[in-house]
Amino acid sequence: MAYAILFGSFTFLMLIGMPIAFCLGIASFATVLYMGLPPIVVFQQLNSGMNVFAMMAIPFFIFAGDLMVRGGIAHRLIRFAAGLVGHMRGGLGQVNVVASTLFGGISGSAVADASAVGGLMIPQMAARGYDRDYAVNVTANAAIIALMIPPSHNMILYSIAAGGNVSVADLFTAGIIPGLLLAGALMITAWWVAVERGYPADPFPGFARIGYYFLASLPGILLIAIIFGGVRSGVFTATESSCIAVLYAFLVAMLVYRELNWDGFVEAVMGAVRTTAMVLLVIGTAAAFGWLMAFLQVQTLIIAAISAVSDNPIIVLLMINVILLVLGTFMDMAPMVIISTPILLPVVKAFGIDPVHFGVIMILNAGIGLNTPPVGTVLFVSCAVGGITIREAMRTIWPFFGASIAVLLLVTYIPALSLWLPNVFK
Amino acid sequence: QVTLRSADIHPDGYPTVDAVKYMGELISQRTNGRIKIQVMNNSVLGGEKDTIEQTRFGVIDLNRVNAAPFNNLVPQTTVLGLPFLFRSTEHMHKVVDGPIGDEILKAFEPHGLIGLAYYDSGARSFYTTKKPITKLADLKGMKIRVQQSDLWIAMMQAFGANPTPMPMGEVYSSLETGVVDGAENNWPSYESARHYEIAKNYTLTEHSLNPEILVMSKISWDKLTPEDQKIFRQAAKDSVVKMRELWTAREKSSEAKVRAAGANIIKVNKDEFSAAMKPVYDKFVTDAKQKALLEQIQAVK
Amino acid sequence: MRNFMLAIKPILGGLSRLSLYISGIGMIAMTLIVGWQVFGRYILNDSPSWSEPLSLYLMSWFIMLGAAVGVRESVHLGLDIVRYVMPPAIQKAMDLLSLGLIVLFGIGMAYYSTLLAKGTWSATIPVLGWPGGTDFFPMIVGGIMISLFALERFVDVAIGEEIAADVLVQEAA
Ligand code: NA
Ligand code: NA
Repeated sequence: MAYAILFGSFTFLMLIGMPIAFCLGIASFATVLYMGLPPIVVFQQLNSGMNVFAMMAIPFFIFAGDLMVRGGIAHRLIRFAAGLVGHMRGGLGQVNVVASTLFGGISGSAVADASAVGGLMIPQMAARGYDRDYAVNVTANAAIIALMIPPSHNMILYSIAAGGNVSVADLFTAGIIPGLLLAGALMITAWWVAVERGYPADPFPGFARIGYYFLASLPGILLIAIIFGGVRSGVFTATESSCIAVLYAFLVAMLVYRELNWDGFVEAVMGAVRTTAMVLLVIGTAAAFGWLMAFLQVQTLIIAAISAVSDNPIIVLLMINVILLVLGTFMDMAPMVIISTPILLPVVKAFGIDPVHFGVIMILNAGIGLNTPPVGTVLFVSCAVGGITIREAMRTIWPFFGASIAVLLLVTYIPALSLWLPNVFK
Repeated sequence: QVTLRSADIHPDGYPTVDAVKYMGELISQRTNGRIKIQVMNNSVLGGEKDTIEQTRFGVIDLNRVNAAPFNNLVPQTTVLGLPFLFRSTEHMHKVVDGPIGDEILKAFEPHGLIGLAYYDSGARSFYTTKKPITKLADLKGMKIRVQQSDLWIAMMQAFGANPTPMPMGEVYSSLETGVVDGAENNWPSYESARHYEIAKNYTLTEHSLNPEILVMSKISWDKLTPEDQKIFRQAAKDSVVKMRELWTAREKSSEAKVRAAGANIIKVNKDEFSAAMKPVYDKFVTDAKQKALLEQIQAVK
Repeated sequence: MRNFMLAIKPILGGLSRLSLYISGIGMIAMTLIVGWQVFGRYILNDSPSWSEPLSLYLMSWFIMLGAAVGVRESVHLGLDIVRYVMPPAIQKAMDLLSLGLIVLFGIGMAYYSTLLAKGTWSATIPVLGWPGGTDFFPMIVGGIMISLFALERFVDVAIGEEIAADVLVQEAA
């Protein structure tokens, strides 16, 4: 009965449109009342759920990304990408993917990536005769790369949800090859669709120009090196790197590019507060919910249920991928990672799957979910930027989905793609 | 028939977990199956600070926690963690098994907790990644991870190190990348957290023998009949004997595993380290009760 | 009722702005503190022990006040697909139920956090040396603010006013 109250009230509250943070809190509260436990435990867990140092990376990376867009770092990276690959067939589509990869190297947010890269690329692409649906779909799908290439605050979320025992440094490193693989798959898809539709290619700008663009974007590219090098050489921890990213982005925007003014700074601060406070509250109330699941030993039941279907790791992983893709259609990234990790991680561990590897699988699944309605934040943002309806985008998104799913399957069944690089760095 | 819940942060098979399970079996036998104990380990109910609060408020019934997290609640427990307080494990056993130990356990009661037993936690020693510690001066300026605790921070300062508080989950990668130069812990944790893979120099300073404490919620305790309370006390006592066997075996197997992995085990002159600890005693043994307790412990032969 | 709401709206609006500014200042302070932590440890080789607990304490305030503002501004982070397809009368009922429960949850948060603060007052927070109960202050204040702002929106919905502010906020995806 306690299970029914916990999950039943959660589902009901979610369906009436209550913000997820409160669905989790109220469902836990109701269950605790029913069980006759002291209700303070819900709020004690909420409090300790909020007191996790690694969580600070979430507002910091969001804040840093915003400063990069406002401070001119993002658009110089895009210009550099345009110089590099603009002369390929479907050039601006390729530029979009490469720009997302570069920007993803300094930001961990797919939404920031879609609005930064999409905001600059989609109008340009439309002006040059590319169809808007193509521009939007490339943008939305390439934005997922930002989640895989470090830094990624969603990897940090996963590590928190996993109980803090999965190394963030390893997760960051593990995402690199899958992220580049996704970039490659999307470039091939963008090229193939461009050939089908007969899109043009830009003339080669010449090495001198590319060199100039490179130099202009160097402060942004340096941040990739600073974050990755700083974490790997022990100057700061992965969590602290998010704070360094804020300070660095601020300094570059103020002193090097001089594009950030006081108003822009205040807007960036308020934007970060508005965007992240609710997500962090979800982590808090999810801690209370998770405590009850542990108290009621829900994980044991789920492991038993999955084992009853199959004990073959290949089938189990396939089942979990399907579950995550379905969850991803109607859940946003952060709540999905926070809620499903503590449930599924013990399951996959029981089948011998490495937590770092599973982290990459989880983030990629949740990332694909950002482009699947009814809840598809990145697709929605990209459509809004591109000025088309979601229906129009959905009609031609399938090749890009196909590419993402293919990468997901490769990443799922070839653990080395995720685990080889972290081991090299050990 | 009732099932009582007991919290523990350690994984399956850890001596503290098995000791409480053993105690549960004894209680079940002696109450003809009326009372059972379910150990919920692996931190599933939260960290030590969380579960202490839950026990005090009666959410969970039993809790096995290190003495350190009690320091800010029960001042007497601070004395147990003082560096080089116990001359040997035998000295520590004698103290906690005797009237001094009982007195400290009684001090939990005003805080809603019933102290049931002391378990071993072994001796804590330093381990470092690059530079081995062979004498006190080697610690100078080294970044050493500590628990977020005033006593431990002061202790590291007295050793001349740079104490760096950090959650346990970040220690492995911080050692690996060099955010910290070392940490300190007992053999089993050094082994099970896999820190020996990257911090290969284990220096036997054995600076603390701080024990573990098994407490029960006063709310749950008051629900027991006086007979059952007796059964609980006795079962807790019996589990200590079992725990010490399990602990010795675990320490040996962890040490063997670490040695086989090629760790560099260093013996040092402990007197030099112990002599540096006076400021810690001055700072943390302040009131008359603590001073008397300290003298009593030191007087135990 | 409508006149009363119009009269107190500026006060609630000011409270919400104040919360937002405190959260923002909290985040800037967190940035400086964590930056100092890296500087102290790596450059000065003297790790500040207060930086982690203090920045965590600021984060609690940041979350609670920011989330209260989120309630007022209807920052969603939820699933409104079912709500969206319902007829207006049912939508209104769903909104009232959801907001009413949030009001109660906020009150519960403030009440039980006060109990927790009392119960943990005698313990000391390591390093900072504050009474243990101060840890729960952000939740006491946050709980009150959450129920206050949810109540404002509850009344708005009940009498058919537009919501206080409809800020389009992207989720941290
Ligand atoms: Na990234
Ligand atoms: Na979705």
